[in-house]
Formats: sequence, structure tokens, C-alpha cells
Amino acid sequence: MFATLTSPALEKYEELDWPIRTVENWRFGSWKKANLSGLELVGSGQSADLPSPVEGYSRFVFQNAELVSGSHDSVTVLSESFGPKSRLGSEKLAALHTAKSSHGLSVKAGSEVAIEVIHLVSGEGLLLPTLVIEAEKGAKIKVIERFLSADSAATTVLSAVDVNLAEGAKVTYLVTQELNAASKLIRLADSCLKASAEATQAVIHTGAKWVREETYSTVDGMDARSEILSVALPSTGQEYDQRTFQHHGGRDTYSNLLFKNTLFGSSKTIFSGLIFVDEGAHGTDAYQTCRNLMMTDECEANSMPGLEINADDVKCSHGSTAARVSDEEIFYLQARGINARDARTLVAKGFSIEAIEKLQDETLEALALEVVERKFATVE
Amino acid sequence: MNSETATVQQVAKEKDEVGNFSFPENHKFDAGFGLTKDTLDYISKVKDEPQWINDFRHRALEVFRSKPMPTNWATEDLNAIDFDKIRYYLSDGATPKRSWDDVPPEVLETFDRLGVPQQERAFLAGVEAQYDSEAAYSNVKEALADEGVIFVTCSEGLKEHEEIFRPWFGKVIPTGDNKFSALNSAVMSGGSFIYIPKGVKVKHPLQAYFRINSENFGQFERTLIIADEGSEVMYMEGCTAPKFETATLHSAVVELVAMKGAKIQYITVQNWSSNVFNLVTKRGLAHEDAEIRWIDCNIGSRLTMKYPGVVMKGERARGEVISIALANDGQHQDTGAKMVHAANNTTSNVVSKSISVGEGRSTYRGQVLIPKHLKGCKNNTECDALLINPKSRTDTYPAITVKGNQHVTQHEASVSQVSQEMLFYMQQRGLSEAQAMSLAVNGFINDLVSEFPMEYSVELKRLIDLEMEGSVG
Repeated sequence: MFATLTSPALEKYEELDWPIRTVENWRFGSWKKANLSGLELVGSGQSADLPSPVEGYSRFVFQNAELVSGSHDSVTVLSESFGPKSRLGSEKLAALHTAKSSHGLSVKAGSEVAIEVIHLVSGEGLLLPTLVIEAEKGAKIKVIERFLSADSAATTVLSAVDVNLAEGAKVTYLVTQELNAASKLIRLADSCLKASAEATQAVIHTGAKWVREETYSTVDGMDARSEILSVALPSTGQEYDQRTFQHHGGRDTYSNLLFKNTLFGSSKTIFSGLIFVDEGAHGTDAYQTCRNLMMTDECEANSMPGLEINADDVKCSHGSTAARVSDEEIFYLQARGINARDARTLVAKGFSIEAIEKLQDETLEALALEVVERKFATVE
Repeated sequence: MNSETATVQQVAKEKDEVGNFSFPENHKFDAGFGLTKDTLDYISKVKDEPQWINDFRHRALEVFRSKPMPTNWATEDLNAIDFDKIRYYLSDGATPKRSWDDVPPEVLETFDRLGVPQQERAFLAGVEAQYDSEAAYSNVKEALADEGVIFVTCSEGLKEHEEIFRPWFGKVIPTGDNKFSALNSAVMSGGSFIYIPKGVKVKHPLQAYFRINSENFGQFERTLIIADEGSEVMYMEGCTAPKFETATLHSAVVELVAMKGAKIQYITVQNWSSNVFNLVTKRGLAHEDAEIRWIDCNIGSRLTMKYPGVVMKGERARGEVISIALANDGQHQDTGAKMVHAANNTTSNVVSKSISVGEGRSTYRGQVLIPKHLKGCKNNTECDALLINPKSRTDTYPAITVKGNQHVTQHEASVSQVSQEMLFYMQQRGLSEAQAMSLAVNGFINDLVSEFPMEYSVELKRLIDLEMEGSVG
């Protein structure tokens, strides 16, 4: 399979063009940063102190492409890509992943499983991790995926994720990204939900110089529910470019997207989201919200919340806002003896927590909050 | 028109030498099919234009040719336009285009049902080349002239008021803004030039009707309105009756300039027949404390692409777009707004409501830009879409860029359908399903319709009733 998948993929990769400015999926984005030509795969990685284990989760640790620890009955180690299909502008990057990825995990279960995957990256160059989650009928799978740097080198991580939920399956999937300030992360994440399946996906971004994330969520089965959450806390020198697609292909489906960006220093965010409702996908319930909290006068937020609706019996809405912490809120807290600086931080944290709470899982919420707190400690 | 008549024989003679123009009997002036440099020279000659305008046209043609079709973000339907099969200049002088017998019966029926005055019907149907406005509006015109208001065709404006016209012409919307503004700059004809002197508040809305010219509703009209300090004006174009039009491409450019403290309201009701591509560029420049409002209603055409914009250049300037779009079978209303905040404490508001009927498709496309180092800018955007039938379609593509933390922006959009309960309630009380649907749709846009002048809003409501017919049941 490896040979049959990689050689056409390599041809396709050679054939495709790197992103260019006029492609609508790269509007406002740093398309030049996506040009990875000339970048070699990194060699073996370094070790570093790992965060304390999460209770109840079995831990897998990758140092660059090498799996250094971890084993579980439901987890298979992969040596190739599943072949991601980018539909949001990074076709060439997807082909690159298909052609050259050589490490990853597949979590496949029909019962309750909790897995933690740590990607400890180091060295200058490219890394292509893969993650597949196959939730069979009635499965309850929880996955934490963490991206950490072991050194200060500029590592480029191109990660591809495929999440499939069979009927009635449930997946909670949290990604935390705390890479060093020189690294880049490109994440291509697909998910597909069959009838009555429930997926909650959340990402917490605090690190990296540049993040490009393409989240494509297909909700096909009746009564399927998809929650897509993101908390991003960029500071000076960081740019987060997130594109999402909520595809409703069947009757009576639900999806809800909530992105919360808190912008410090001269950071930049780009959010582009689309709710797409197929012809005949009646009874769709789809929401999309992107909120930007502007902490400084130098930050920049771009939002492109979109809708494409081809059925009439639907409830869809999107909202996007950009504002700073309101003077009233600060005044209120000041009146209760909290100084203005702390008041601002408090409100900003509360702003992120609103999205984290939607994880509906104490362990994961605590972990997400820990990552957020760590970032706040460096910027305030 | 006099100068045009004077040159006709000369032009007719030269025409044979410069190109392969066809010269059908029913048009006095015809630049023929296709777009070449000769077309531009022909238009310039017929209109007896100064050299600088002719140069402007030629530069624009180059820009038009160099720009690709914007299908990277816009609909592929644009590729259906065959630029070689379009006549870029037609003028009939004072001869009627057609007789009543040529007017399709459904157009006549619509006139009846809308209650369009007989005089206007003749003009709209093209049976009369001129609308006899002298009698109806002479008092208004006199009053305007007394106050120093200039209200002429664009051609007259550029020739007779060059000192006011030229400094602003092509400044708000440069030729290279987009492919279709370049096309308009190359082949423009018709449209208005309006100048309101300092402090003058024009009481009556100005209408394109006031001028006696069949070019009014031309394919490539160009309008420039300048409101000097502290003045106020309301301008209305279009009409609620379907324009009986055979041309397939309409590409206008409208530029508004509001000087310090001035107010301009620009009202459009577009109801082109359903074979027309309506690709329009509209933008206003608002100086300190000035206010520009675009009130826009799109009901007709095959494809409309129109995003009225306001560049708020002076402090405390205000921009507003109020938009209603109705897309029926075979129609795509791609409308929106563009708000550029270029000074402190500027505010903008966009309210857009669209209705998709049958297989119609309506799209909202917006841009809000608040660049760096500004303070106190505010934007509010609301778009609501109503879907009537299972195959109706709606899209929303806003883009909002905010830099800095001293601004407030909010964007909201929702998509819904008329609830079964609402229809049931009304049917219980004796309305037919179609009547109930019509009432619900009128209710959906009611708060926006009230922004239109009274006679327009009445006609609008009737027109919506008409469009909703046969959409249910």
C-alpha cells in the first residue's frame, strides 16, 4: 500500500503549485510561508522534560518521527499517511504529506479508550505526523494530541488528522500546541460523522510563529452533532490562520463552531469559516462564531465567516466580533478592589474559558486551562 | 444632443473608413458589436469629447484587457459574457425605439398592476425615447437652478463644468479598481453629473427622470455627485417597473463625494429584465462629519454584482448601506457592501436582507477594513436571508479586518424560512397561502422598505407580491 499510495502522490505533489496570493482560500493569509520547497525531513529528535501524565490516559511519545514510548491494544503505529485531501487551499501540502509521511498512530476502538499523543519536536526541517481516529459503533474515544518543542530550532510540522465516527460513536479530541517561537505548524484535520455520532474537537494554540489550520467537518448522519472549538492566544510575532468548513450532507444534523482569539502584541489572526448545507439537507442546525479580543493597539484580526445554504428548512447563523475588554467590565472589577491590569487579565481569561467549558470534560478542561494560564504568565 | 446631430454626417462618413461597423436603421448612433480602439474613438466623436476624455478611455481599455475575470472569487457565470457580442454604444436621438405592438404583453400587465403612470410607461417600454419631464418637473428644475445646483448629463458635466468635474472624476473609483470599472471607463455614456453648492439642502429627491435623455438608463452610465460643504442631497435612480431591455450587459460606475459635513443619500431600485448582467461599481468618499447612505434594492437581472462602498476619509464620517435583494428562478443577486475606515471615530452600518425564491440564489459579500493607528471606529453588519423554496440558495461571505484595540465591530448573519406556524395562522384567518407568504416576506423587509421614499416603498411592496406569486402551492 505504501508504494501504491506514495508514488502517485509524489507525482501529484510535483505537479501541484504552491499557494499563490489570488487563491481565495489564502486571502489575508501568508501564502508564502506555506511554500516548503527545499525543506528536508528532520533527523532523530532530542528528549526533554515531559508534562506530567494525564490521569486515565495512556501516553504515546514521539521524538520527531520516532515512537519512544507507549503501547495500547487499540492503537496501531503507522508508517505512512492516510492521504489527506485538502479542500481549503493546501492541496500541495496534502500531497506532500501523502508522499512522505512515515510516522503516526491509528486509534481504532469500539469501546472506551483514552489516549494521549505527545509530539516532541526538535531540529530544523520538516516533520509529517499522522493521526487517525476510527470510532466504531458505540465507541467512546478520548484523544489528547500535544505539540511541544524540545529545542529552539525552526521545526515545520505538517500534521494530518482523520477522524471517523460510526453510528452512535462519541469522540472528544483536544489538541494543544505550544511549539517554540521559530516553528511552524500546518494542520489538516478532517472529520466525518455518521448517524447519532457526537464529536467535540478543540484546539488550543499558544505557540509557534505561524499556524495554518484547515478543519473540515462533514456531518452526514441524522442527529449527528459536531462541536468545533478553538482558543488562540497569539502574541508579538505570531500569526494564526484558521480555515474551517462545516459540511452538512444529511438531514437533521447539528454543528456548532466557536473560535475565541485573544490577541496580544503585534499578533495577527485570520479566521475563515464556511457552513455549507447540501441540497436536501433539511433540518440542519449550524452555528459559527468567531470572537476576537483585542488586547493591544498593534494586533490585527481578519474574519471571513461564510454561509452557503442550498436547502430551505434550516437554522443557520454566524457571528463575528472584534473588540477590547470593555471599560465597564474593568470599572466593575476595579470597584471591587482589583487593579485595572488584573481586571483585564481576568476578563480575558474568562473569555477563553467560555470555549474551554464546552469540552464538557473536567480532565480536558483542566489541561486546556493549564496551557492558557502558561501563556498568560508570559504576556502579562 | 445638438453637437451629436452636427457631427453625425461626418462620423457616418468616417465610420466606413475606420471599421466594420454595422449600422442598423433603428439606431441613429451605433458603435457596432465588439470592443476595439475604434469603438472608443467613435463614442468620443459622436459625443464631441475633449481629448483628455478620449485618452482616459484608451487607457481604460488597456486596463480592462489586462485584468482577468474575477472568477477566483466570483461566480463562473461571468464567463458567459461574450464581450464581442455586445454593442457598446447605441443612441437613438429623439426617435422612438419601438411601437407598443413590440412590447411584450407581460410587461404591459406589470405596468398595469404596479400602477405606473401612462407617461412613464411609454418611456420605460421604449415607445417614447424621451420622458416628458419638462411639464411635470419644471418648477423643481427652476428652483434647483436658482440655488446653483448643477444637474446635467455626465457628458455635459465634463465639457461645461470641467473645473469642478475633473478633479473628482475617476478619483473615488479609479479605472483600475476592477475589470468592470475599467470597462465602464472605456465606453461610458449617459449618467448624471450633480454638484450641490455649499450649504444648499435640496428638498426634493433628485431623479434621473428629470433629465430628458434616453441615455439615462444606458448600459454604461457614469455618475458623479459632489455635495459641497454642509449640503444635502437625495438621488434616486432606476424604477420599480421592469426595464424592457434587450442589452445583456450593464456596467455602471457611480462616484459620490461628500465634502465636510455634507450628506448624500443614493437610492437605487434595480429591476432589469432577467437576461441582463448587472455589474456595477459604486463608492462614496466621505470627508469630515459627512454622511453617505446607499439604499439599494435589487429585484431584476440575471446576475447582479454590486457592493456599494464608503471610504470614510475624514473624522466622524459615517457610511451606511441598506440593501434588499430578491432572487427568483435563474437569478443570482450577488450584493453587499464595502466599508473602509480611514479616519478616527468613523462609523459604518450595513443592513442587508435577501430573499431567495424558487431556484434563485442570493449572496452577501462584504468587506470592512479598519487599518492601523486609528481610534474609535465602529462597524455593525447584519445580514438576514430568507429562503422560500427547497431549492432556494443563499450565501454569505463577509471579510472583516480590524487592527488595534480601540474599535468595535460586529457581524451577524442568519438564515431562516417563513415558519409553518406563521403561514397557518394567516391561512386560518382567510388568506390564501400565496397571500400569507407575500405578507410574511413583506414583513421580513418592512423595516428596510420604510427607508425608501413613500411612492417607492408602495411600488416595492406590490412588486414583491408579484414576485411571490406562484412561489408556493
